[in-house]
Amino acid sequence: MNFWIALWKVVFVFSLGIFAVMAVWVTVAGLGDIRKLFAAIEKSHRVKSE
Amino acid sequence: MPQVIGAVTQTNFTNLDWAIVAVYLAGSVAIGLYVRKYIANMADYVVAGRGVRTALGVATLTGTEMGLITVMYSAEKGFKLGFSAFYIAVASGVVALLVGLSGFILCRLREMKVMTIPEYYERRFGRKTRILGGIMLVFGGVLNMGLFLKVGSMFVVGITGMEHGAALTAVMVVLLGLVLLYTVLGGMVSVVITDYVQFVVLSFGTILACILAVNYVGWQNIFDTVQSSGGKLLGYVLVEAKHSAEAVEYKGGFDPVSSLGVEYMIWMLFLGLVNCALWQTAVMRALAAESTAVVKKQFTWSSVTFLIRFLLPYFLGICAFVLVMQTPELKEYFYSSDPAGAGKDRALYALPIFLGKILPVGVIGVVTAAMLAAFMSTHDSYLLCWSSVITQDIVAPLMGERLSTKARITLTRVLILLIGGYILYWGLFYKGTEDIWDYMAVSGAIYFTGAFALLGCGLYWKRASSTGAVLALLCGFLAITGLGPVQKAVGLTALFKRIEEAHGLRMTGERTSAWIGLGTIVLTLAVMIVGSLLFPDKNPAGQTVPEGEAR
Repeated sequence: MNFWIALWKVVFVFSLGIFAVMAVWVTVAGLGDIRKLFAAIEKSHRVKSE
Repeated sequence: MPQVIGAVTQTNFTNLDWAIVAVYLAGSVAIGLYVRKYIANMADYVVAGRGVRTALGVATLTGTEMGLITVMYSAEKGFKLGFSAFYIAVASGVVALLVGLSGFILCRLREMKVMTIPEYYERRFGRKTRILGGIMLVFGGVLNMGLFLKVGSMFVVGITGMEHGAALTAVMVVLLGLVLLYTVLGGMVSVVITDYVQFVVLSFGTILACILAVNYVGWQNIFDTVQSSGGKLLGYVLVEAKHSAEAVEYKGGFDPVSSLGVEYMIWMLFLGLVNCALWQTAVMRALAAESTAVVKKQFTWSSVTFLIRFLLPYFLGICAFVLVMQTPELKEYFYSSDPAGAGKDRALYALPIFLGKILPVGVIGVVTAAMLAAFMSTHDSYLLCWSSVITQDIVAPLMGERLSTKARITLTRVLILLIGGYILYWGLFYKGTEDIWDYMAVSGAIYFTGAFALLGCGLYWKRASSTGAVLALLCGFLAITGLGPVQKAVGLTALFKRIEEAHGLRMTGERTSAWIGLGTIVLTLAVMIVGSLLFPDKNPAGQTVPEGEAR
């Protein structure tokens, strides 16, 4: 039982830490991606209308 | 009894928190309205013009997959199983990581530039397979989301301290109205944008909730209580599942082999694959990606999402269990032997009641907004997904592709409203007794068991034929026998009991779902292979319809 308790403690702390790092990265980089998405869609509409 | 009701409805939720939630929801609808100008064609509406990059892809996938329904049924599992449930999260994350690194299924689908999985069916196996596959996908998918609205509304009722039961219907109607308005207006572009906002709120809200939960109940106390209350914890599961004879076999809330069983653990591994590589809503994120390289990066990063979306709610469910065990009134409410009052719904209320007590004013509003964000995100993605499958893969092919782009978008929007009406009806009137997670696994299996055979064989085996594909899709229907009422109706319950008595196998509850699910997978693969070998296609090289013609 002690093995499982130790394992789940490590899994939880490790996962929460990684998720926190990922959340910060996605928050920052995602903003740039949104701007690029809108630009790409507008460009594709312009190309089609021409 | 009044003390019990008082303990259940006591919450820190105030008018300030209502204001936070209202501002958030109004903001979401405003975004939906604003991005309408970017919708010019079906590709913009369904796959956001295929312009989604890695970080935004991770955000939108998380926004969809970490929905309120996931949080609720996962918390329920943690509440009932303790840390043994962590296995399911780890299995899901590891499988997603392998899919991300290898690009298994997803990259080949993205290369084909299809918008939906049934569209792939047509390109690979012909139009009849696409229509049948579309019907199977929608049948399984819509059935699967039937309880979303009710479970999500239970969260709102529980965390705000409303009277259980009376307010539920009103909350369901209001939430559904908001989701429908928002989804019909925007399509995938607005889904992508609000998913990003929801990712930010949801991620930091959930992390904060975990930290506050540990602070409230105590880190070591969590493990000590689960260890000392293992019998109670698992006894609740056994009583509900009517397997009291198995009680002696459980060792407590930590060891998944003892708690879940090997067959259920294998079934969960397969569900991990389904979640990231077979389920249409997740696959749509891959199809909306800018390139196959982005698909791989997106799903590699998202393996953290597939781990976390189960793990953190399990943990919060376990913390709720600890609080319940140490509060006599709550213990009486959740473990009451009163058959009229007790029910499976009560375990679902554990998380919102817990959050309502531990989170301070203001924070509880932000967390509720995050959960509602997740709720809206999941609903809009699913509504958009199933309605676009009906339009693109069933109606349009049946009409010989005479449907204009404008007509397709209009039809998709009408279908969103119809499916919305269905989930309201299903949530109000469905009286099934299955565990929410197992209900979802079985209803989804109607689609994904067949899809696994068609995608796995179709993408990686040149001799896979349309006859084999049709047979495999039809075999997927057998998965519905994983549902308790269906088992009873067709006499499987008695059969499983006899097997259990004769061979000592545990063939009851979620384990029968696992056996049936795994059996259906083997069967669909077998008929796919045998059908393909016996009835090969005239064009065995693969793609029967070139890109662009299968629209």
